[in-house]
Amino acid sequence: MKFLLGLALKNLSRYKKRTIITAAAIAVGLGIYIFIDAWLLGAEMESERNLIWYESSSARVLNESYWEEKDQLPLKYVIENPEEVTVRLQELKIPAAPRTVFGGELIVREDPFEQDGSMQVKIFSIDPEQDNTVFRFRETIVKGRYLKPGEEGILIGSWLAEDLGAEVGYPLTIVTRTRHGYYQIIDVEIVGIINCPNPSINRGAIFLPLDTADTYLEMQGAVTEINLKFPERSDAEMLAASIEEKLIEDFKGIEILSWKILARDYVAFAAMKQSGTRMILFLVFIIAAVGVSNTMLMAIYERFRELGMMRALGMKDSQVRLTFLFEAGGIGFIGSVFGVMLGCILCLWIVNRGVDYSAMIRDMDIGYRVTGIMRGAWHPKALVIAFFLGIILSVVTAFFPTRRALKMTITDCLRFQ
Amino acid sequence: MIKIDRIKRSYKTGDTVVKALRGVTLTIEQGEFLSIAGPSGSGKTTLLNLIGCIDRADSGEIFINGEAVSAKNKKELALFRRHKLGFIFQTFNLIPVLNAFENVSFPLSLLSFNEKEIRERSMAMLAEVGLEGRVDSRPAKLSGGQQQRVAIARALVKEPQIVLADEPTANLDSKTGKAILKLMEDMNARYNTTFIFSTHDPMVMDYAHRLVQLHDGKIIKDERRKK
Repeated sequence: MKFLLGLALKNLSRYKKRTIITAAAIAVGLGIYIFIDAWLLGAEMESERNLIWYESSSARVLNESYWEEKDQLPLKYVIENPEEVTVRLQELKIPAAPRTVFGGELIVREDPFEQDGSMQVKIFSIDPEQDNTVFRFRETIVKGRYLKPGEEGILIGSWLAEDLGAEVGYPLTIVTRTRHGYYQIIDVEIVGIINCPNPSINRGAIFLPLDTADTYLEMQGAVTEINLKFPERSDAEMLAASIEEKLIEDFKGIEILSWKILARDYVAFAAMKQSGTRMILFLVFIIAAVGVSNTMLMAIYERFRELGMMRALGMKDSQVRLTFLFEAGGIGFIGSVFGVMLGCILCLWIVNRGVDYSAMIRDMDIGYRVTGIMRGAWHPKALVIAFFLGIILSVVTAFFPTRRALKMTITDCLRFQ
Repeated sequence: MIKIDRIKRSYKTGDTVVKALRGVTLTIEQGEFLSIAGPSGSGKTTLLNLIGCIDRADSGEIFINGEAVSAKNKKELALFRRHKLGFIFQTFNLIPVLNAFENVSFPLSLLSFNEKEIRERSMAMLAEVGLEGRVDSRPAKLSGGQQQRVAIARALVKEPQIVLADEPTANLDSKTGKAILKLMEDMNARYNTTFIFSTHDPMVMDYAHRLVQLHDGKIIKDERRKK
């Protein structure tokens, strides 16, 4: 075995240029894999964080009938006694923030706006104090101030404000329906503009104080949802299920959904993107595999007579195969070492500097909840996978040309020109 | 002892069948220095390949020390060659990435010798073929004659019973060729190893102690010479 390994290593130096080129192909393939993996991982981690901090929260308490009709933003499926639920959650040391989310038409008029117009919007009515125990909007105010309880003021996303030409102090009108279905008009004033790391908030969110909404919508203290905050990196689905189990006896007709269900579109999108990326990586690896296979094929073709001699001298086919596989493994090892090094260099850049996508994300929804610089994240598991993948890939692709060579008789090998 | 009994071997080349051996029968005693001679296409290499267990006969049988070669499977044949046979090729077939010492020690590495034994035996054999000063040289740095000496050392280092050489001097000039034949003859005398070599060169035939001449796959002459 030691002898075969030594022979394989010496054979690596036989065609130095070819070995270097093939190892370089593997290294580039692995480097790209490590880089893209780190980049996507970073984007996903940041997206999930921004989703939980600004959009979905960790989990949400809902009326059990709400989720099926969530797209209509119904006010008929509500939680009637949110204070009791919140107190119970606080006993379980789970920060909770009630909200009423409703749809409406936002009307702007010429003066101070540039022209008359209206648009459909989703309005989040929030308790200015409690909301900050779960979400982080207070620190995202870029103009004006945060909401005060009871006021007829709103916060709007910065990109929405830009699109409308809105500034702090501008008046707006919201036309909506109350809980009982009557039309309601709410005249409000912009008190603050928020710019948070979640593009979907900047693009269209409007925040109104909960008590103001309660009055106008005739909610009588009911809310459509209570948002929960779980410790970071906790298993949201498991925790949501466990809390629901504890709450369900006292509060009939509620359910708790984790962010993975609440942000199902994002989870599906992330999975789809991963599949797409895997396809690209697969193609990169195919190219590397073709390189290794070609190198081994050439190496074997050029050594048919030598192969014949070794077999004539009593080397078993399994030993010949092992020698070539060791050789391919050696190329894979060199490629893996340099591939991991290349990947780490690229990761250093993407983790520390990142790519600024702000201009693109402003006008296009790419799915990730990231507004500016998209940074990568170190993924040690991917480094280990890449390292061994390079070696395994080389060995596997060398197997077939070796098998082909061994199918030739010794005399044919010795006669080979 | 090698006993060849009515061996036949034919090859298919395109649509034509070439009968390389047409029922060859021959007995070779241990320690013979035998040349298989004949023109191109007479079946010399085929006969050598069959004795060397790297090819199989269509019919007939070869017995080496009483063992029927055809009864052995691929793996058994590999082990048989490893232990009993040595090969010298026309084109030397040394491994270019290994130096002279490593090429000579190659067959020993396949056997269960320890490193010390491998070193001692290989160095001694290289000294016997007059290459003690070139142990670290790779084949590319050696002349044709020196490469063939390495090949002879490689064939003999494991002390096989039989050494088969397919036109061992064909790629060498006549002076070097003679030196190689002399070396083989010396080795045959010293180790009592059976040497069987093929040739169509009359000078090489002169060295043989026994000359078997083939023509169209049949033995036409089997002549023993006193040396």
